[in-house]
Amino acid sequence: MWRTTTRAARTWPYLLPALFFFVGWQLWPIVRALWISFTSFSFLLDDSPESAKFIWFQNYVDAVKDPLVRSGLWHAAVFTAIFLPGMIFLPMVMAVLVDRVHNKKAAGVYRLILLIPAMMPGPLIFILWGWLYSNGIGPINYMLVNVFHLYDVTNQPTWLGATNLTFLSLALMEWWWGLGFHTMFYLAGLSTIPKELYESARVDGASEWRIFWNITFARLRPILLVLVVLRFGTAFALIDEYILTGGFDRSRPTYTWTVYMWDTAFQLGDQNRGYAATIGWIGTIGMLGVVLWLFYVFRNKD
Amino acid sequence: MTNDEQELFEELLDDEEFAPGLNRGALLQRGAAAGAAMWGVSTLFGPGTAFASTQARSLTPTFYQWIYGLYPEIPSAINKDYGKRHKLDAKIAPVQGFGIDRFVAEAKKKKSTWDVYVGMTPFVEMASLIESGAIEPWDKYISKSVVNDLIPSIRQEATYQGHMWSFPFLLDIIIQAWNGEIVKKAGLDPNAAPKTWDEFIANAKKVVSSKAAPFGAVFDSHGWRSLAPITYTFNPNVYTPDGLFDFTNPATVNALEVMKRMMEVAPNNILEEGKVDAGVNTTPDEEAFAGRQAAYYIKYQNAPTRFAGTWPDPTVLHIAGMPKQPGGAGATVFWNTGAALFKYGQNKQAAADYMKFLTYDQRIWKQALSKHVKGQSGQLAPYKSTWAKWEKSPPEWMADWAFTVRAQLGKSKAIKTNIWGLNQFVLGKPGWETYLKGDEKDPKKALAKARDLVMAEVKKHKK
Repeated sequence: MWRTTTRAARTWPYLLPALFFFVGWQLWPIVRALWISFTSFSFLLDDSPESAKFIWFQNYVDAVKDPLVRSGLWHAAVFTAIFLPGMIFLPMVMAVLVDRVHNKKAAGVYRLILLIPAMMPGPLIFILWGWLYSNGIGPINYMLVNVFHLYDVTNQPTWLGATNLTFLSLALMEWWWGLGFHTMFYLAGLSTIPKELYESARVDGASEWRIFWNITFARLRPILLVLVVLRFGTAFALIDEYILTGGFDRSRPTYTWTVYMWDTAFQLGDQNRGYAATIGWIGTIGMLGVVLWLFYVFRNKD
Repeated sequence: MTNDEQELFEELLDDEEFAPGLNRGALLQRGAAAGAAMWGVSTLFGPGTAFASTQARSLTPTFYQWIYGLYPEIPSAINKDYGKRHKLDAKIAPVQGFGIDRFVAEAKKKKSTWDVYVGMTPFVEMASLIESGAIEPWDKYISKSVVNDLIPSIRQEATYQGHMWSFPFLLDIIIQAWNGEIVKKAGLDPNAAPKTWDEFIANAKKVVSSKAAPFGAVFDSHGWRSLAPITYTFNPNVYTPDGLFDFTNPATVNALEVMKRMMEVAPNNILEEGKVDAGVNTTPDEEAFAGRQAAYYIKYQNAPTRFAGTWPDPTVLHIAGMPKQPGGAGATVFWNTGAALFKYGQNKQAAADYMKFLTYDQRIWKQALSKHVKGQSGQLAPYKSTWAKWEKSPPEWMADWAFTVRAQLGKSKAIKTNIWGLNQFVLGKPGWETYLKGDEKDPKKALAKARDLVMAEVKKHKK
């Protein structure tokens, strides 16, 4: 008994900070958001979620029928499908190329240059790319219109407008921003692959493609899983870039479920946070399902 | 003052809902009384009570950041001067994109970090702040002399359900502006304002056909900056009994048709969102007009005045009242960005005193309207006495267009204060845009769709 008590006295003080963090910082907001999603909590009119009406699954029933929720999820999925392959495979290719640079100084310079965008703060990135894509003052359209004469000012591409180009334009910006950061992940993974494996494969007459596929790619799978899961999450739940480029215009492809959730919670009418929480939970449940599937796809098959 | 204004003014003067305010003497008296009461409370409850300690706080106004951006003299000079009268601790408000949630969250806990919020526009967020109980009317604190000095239409805009909720400050009116250099190059008279929409569009087409500029005209695609003001030029009485903008009114249909005709001479990205402030600012029209790619412009006056400051010769900017069609009302939209008084703030009398100090300060208006300032912020003073003084003896620094813009106030109207005041235009935009984009041939159907989009959202909410 005494032993158990002293053991607990020795253990709990160390556990409590972590437990406090886990419950207070992570678990409680999740439970709270779940609770709110079952209420009619309006931020402007109700004192608190507790004073709002508990309406069970009514918000979920409404959300399932809501075309904005469906189109919002679909738009987010389309952007994720455009964004994810580039964000995963471009850095992988870049990492393989940089890994083959044997001159240490040159390799260092390459790494530094690649990391520069990752060091830039978000607002600066948005200003920079907003300028690049601008119709009136942007260099991309200046080249297309004034230098190459491929378009004139009346039909020049509107990169961030409600066009099919919007998601591609955003994905390009994100790829550029994250390229260096993700390349570093892969370089770390590449450094753990024994060089002997490559030498043996070459002695056995394996082609460079086969070496890449069977050794490099196979050994990078754990890194790949981490990046795919992380970036899937950020892509599907992207919001800042959408609001910056499309505002709250519901006809824009950038009006995704995250923007709808924000709009409902913080802007529209009485700020119906019960419904906004429901939209959030539907998106989150969808994302959790995809993440579980990704874990299954990338499971260790050894 | 026009007859309408005079009538409205007299009507409001008779209105007993405005409690008589306090003069400086009364402020001191009440201050002394509060001090005596404080002493009594402190004696009863001992030192360190919450009441005693909170009263020690400096007057804490919080500003929407753009106001500091346009008027740097507020933080650098005016606040310092006021600080000699009363302890002042001015802040920047956490209200990016008109967000008021921090104010509301604090009000629910019956507290407020700040005393007064400078940056509230009645049709945008005033109704929400009132509904949430975060603010209280100025009636008890604002002096009668200030209330009586306000231009009647501004006073009316600041008043909601019989109480004055906004302390008016910076006035914007939707006008037409044009780049005289481009207009002259197109063979048009740079000093003549298009009187009708037909003339406006014909001129804009001539600008394009003569290759004087790539674009004839631009407008801001946000409804409160284009659809509503253009509608008002036909008829400003376009509200439903619920106070919502009537998208299906014939005047609105006329306005949408004007916008469609303007689209023919506008950049192809004109309907895009802006690049900052959740899409509402740095819009394509701003880029085109600032970049001297467009001749004519429909927007609030402080946009062209700021952009002309970037031109080699800012004096080629011309401003006039909105064009109107024969038989149209010739009105336009105005709004006044003012200050809200936090219900759970402190220093309420001092807040009114500070707002009076701020809004009468000539340095603000010189910054806004001086022809010697490059890229004037261009916003107008809300007081009759200020304008009377300037009309009697125009200051040497006064820009030529200032009186022209002021004259529009007589025939302009605010967008009705409503919890959906701004958002009804955001929600309806995808509907009326179908006509502008050519997806829908009938403007009435497009506007009916806009109305349906708004009503569908309104029905989801308790208010």
